[in-house]
Amino acid sequence: MNYTVMTYLGYLAISIGLTIWVAQTLFKNGRVFLVDVFHGNQELAGSVNHLLVVGFYLINLGYVSLMLKLDLAVASPQAGIEALSAKIGWVLLILGGMHFFNLLIFSRVRRRAMLFDAPPPVAPDACIPCREA
Amino acid sequence: MRYLTVLYDANCELCRNIRAWLLQQPTFIELRFLPAASDAAVSRFPGLDHQRTLSELTVVSDTGAVYYGSKGWLVCLWALREYRLWSFRLARPDLLPTSRRFIAWLSRNRYKFAGISKFLAKEQASWQT
Repeated sequence: MNYTVMTYLGYLAISIGLTIWVAQTLFKNGRVFLVDVFHGNQELAGSVNHLLVVGFYLINLGYVSLMLKLDLAVASPQAGIEALSAKIGWVLLILGGMHFFNLLIFSRVRRRAMLFDAPPPVAPDACIPCREA
Repeated sequence: MRYLTVLYDANCELCRNIRAWLLQQPTFIELRFLPAASDAAVSRFPGLDHQRTLSELTVVSDTGAVYYGSKGWLVCLWALREYRLWSFRLARPDLLPTSRRFIAWLSRNRYKFAGISKFLAKEQASWQT
């Protein structure tokens, strides 16, 4: 096993581990948010949460696997660590971007839900008894 | 709250066209319309100052809450699916005075806006085809 293959294995182990960790974080903490958005409908919240996490996994693992190939053979442990660090750096940035994108989706969904329930923006000027039409 | 009754000035072309536009919009809360100070409006809301409804747009909810003038406009926006967010933006403390002034100005000059009315009417005709 040469340095290049070892770098690849290290890259896969770290980036897959990171993806799982971020996805789990999203899954655990996103749920609370979604339950609130869907007015306590646990089942729907769980389902949407699961679908979001699946999308998250697909995009990240796809990216990780596309980014695997190194342009040149790794000659020394030092070069291996440098190459690994650059790759992991990109993976982290993409993971971070995806994570904030997910948060954006959550907050959009939540804002919509809150608008739906919101009382009028202004208080009435008067109140009258009302006869049914 | 299930529906809002909008008392509009039926003698004003702009108001009639805005009413037609509102009727086209998807709503959270149903909008119903009655010409201001008409017999129907008076019998429906006996406790209301109908003279005032002729000079200011008036919106009455089914629960009896009355919104005059700029508040009425904001409540109309609030009832619309696409514009509810805007009703909150325009009602923010820093924007509310400007919203009020604009609506008051528009309201004062409503008989002069035949041009806008025609534009709205044309828009509406193009949606219907």
